[in-house]
Amino acid sequence: MKTITIDPITRLEGHGKINIFLNDNGNVENAYLQIPELRGFERFSQGRRAEDMPQITSRICGVCPVAHHFASTKALDDAFDVEPPSAAKKLRELMYMGYFIYDHILHFYYLGGPDFVVGPDAPAAKRNVLGVIEKAGVDIGKEVIKHRAFGQRITGILGGKATHPVCGLPGGLSKGLNDDEVKEIKDMVGSCVDFAQFSLKLFDDIVLKNKDYVDLITSDPYQLNTYNMGLVDKNNKVNFYDGLIRVTDQDAREHDKFPVKDYYEKIAERVEEWSYMKFPYLKDIGWNGLSDGKKSGIYRVGPLGRLNASDGMATPLADKEYKQLFETLGGKPVNSTLAFHWARLIELLYATERAKELINDKEITSNHIRNPVGKPCEGFGVTEAARGTLIHHYKLNEKGLVEKANLIVATTNNAGAITMSVRDAAKGMIKNGNVDQGILNKVEMAFRAYDPCFACATHALPGGMPMKIDIYNAEKQKIQTLEQ
Amino acid sequence: MKTIVVGIGNPILGDDGVGIHITRKLQKNKNLSSDITVEEAQTGGMNLLDLIIGFDHAILVDAVSLTGCAHGEINRFDLSDLPTVHSQNPHDVSLSEAISMIEALDDSSVPQNITIIGVNLKQIPREFTETISSEIRACIPQAVDMILSELQSLTKQDNLNVNT
Repeated sequence: MKTITIDPITRLEGHGKINIFLNDNGNVENAYLQIPELRGFERFSQGRRAEDMPQITSRICGVCPVAHHFASTKALDDAFDVEPPSAAKKLRELMYMGYFIYDHILHFYYLGGPDFVVGPDAPAAKRNVLGVIEKAGVDIGKEVIKHRAFGQRITGILGGKATHPVCGLPGGLSKGLNDDEVKEIKDMVGSCVDFAQFSLKLFDDIVLKNKDYVDLITSDPYQLNTYNMGLVDKNNKVNFYDGLIRVTDQDAREHDKFPVKDYYEKIAERVEEWSYMKFPYLKDIGWNGLSDGKKSGIYRVGPLGRLNASDGMATPLADKEYKQLFETLGGKPVNSTLAFHWARLIELLYATERAKELINDKEITSNHIRNPVGKPCEGFGVTEAARGTLIHHYKLNEKGLVEKANLIVATTNNAGAITMSVRDAAKGMIKNGNVDQGILNKVEMAFRAYDPCFACATHALPGGMPMKIDIYNAEKQKIQTLEQ
Repeated sequence: MKTIVVGIGNPILGDDGVGIHITRKLQKNKNLSSDITVEEAQTGGMNLLDLIIGFDHAILVDAVSLTGCAHGEINRFDLSDLPTVHSQNPHDVSLSEAISMIEALDDSSVPQNITIIGVNLKQIPREFTETISSEIRACIPQAVDMILSELQSLTKQDNLNVNT
């Protein structure tokens, strides 16, 4: 096989770019997804006050600021050697559920769901939320907007600001809840539980009862037999806000479970010459190229990763759905990439149920929401962002200023898996040099399932198309470009 | 007639934050009537739509990245000129899509005019910094004037001290 070197100077225009390399027979040898990386974060953070980090880092992601805000706040809890009071943890977790509610509703109805609700072979112009409304009805559209707004309102009330929270402090929170706010949140959460159940029923009616879709979900190009990773509580149930990092293997057995501070001992990164991307992998298993299976240390995070890495959901309705997913798709672990969408809806239901538990907890109106900090040193904070395990790591000096800062974002954890999924989807669409025009759809479906983070800190409006595929022949000459 | 001007951008990503710097400068104009609201947003898609709902006109100020335009070039265009109905990034809808959705739900709270004042960047910034480059900083006064002209024609106010 010829060695292929992609000139790393080839830059992305801000969004997904895929390079597909064909072998001499015109079949896919490799496909590489290039994700633009943001640079200079450590330098940017140096000398900053530690307590500014939760607000600064929430700017990194325009869609999941809450995840960064709390991974950062928890890193500061650790760095200042302080355990927040129980009420503060519950408030933080409640706010976190608000985030999952709006995020997962957005993703299913606007982004990932259209692939199913409208159909993967529908024209691109219909595979969006408008197509969903056409198919599911205007009333559903209104419910989607309403409940997404509820999720945002919950985080807004708790966070102090609608999109970028300002409440996280080392040792606790700056703001609690009064009785009026509790009442408002209770009403919204009740409605959200119903809406989450409705969404799962919709998925069942439109997707699971349709044999073609189920075949698509279980089809070869969309299977990946990797390890799985996610945060779990002491009962090994999925937890978005806190817990230990658990890894399960291809037989659904626990491979490892560790606190976030051991991350660097457990995970190594592979740097490939041709990409800015770093590929994390399990150190004890080792790097075996971009492959899956027991001998490859590549793992998956995010909704399906979390469900696979756990023993269940901690709330009853969601746990029932969890069991249903595994029963339907042939037991644990489920390797079907498209099952991410189903897992996402189960997580939505859990988030609503957990929010209901928390808002009804007696401690939720407590005023004891902060503990005094200790001396600054080094700290790690981990949360589950909507798209997977997120880690913040800071080293502070004796004045409480940042000396070093490092982030490992969810999409980095999924880098290997996303690349392989894109390659496999592409393989199905290019045979003997013939490129099926449906390739864009099929490849897009593969990576959309992961809900990847493509430098969403950037807000400049692009003049070009969001996704581009360049196809190269065995002599590394570009033979075709596809855009939409 | 209520008008909102939204500066969009990320203030920790260098020139990407130019929209916000422009609206901060705009806010210093003492002649803006009370019918004009100036806001900042570090978000897009649905969140951005939430901000502009209920206004008659919206002017969005943002960095853009268009082929064939010079670095620092400022253009005015309508939202409908944006080239794609797809998501501008994989986990948010585009503003166009968000608006289409609201309109499909027979909701008439979307502004009747949505204008974009776009400062062109040759490359989308990738480096964390709170500093705007001097080249892009130099565009701010012109952008403010374009917004004032737009406001003048939308609201018929004539005392906005437009310089161009």
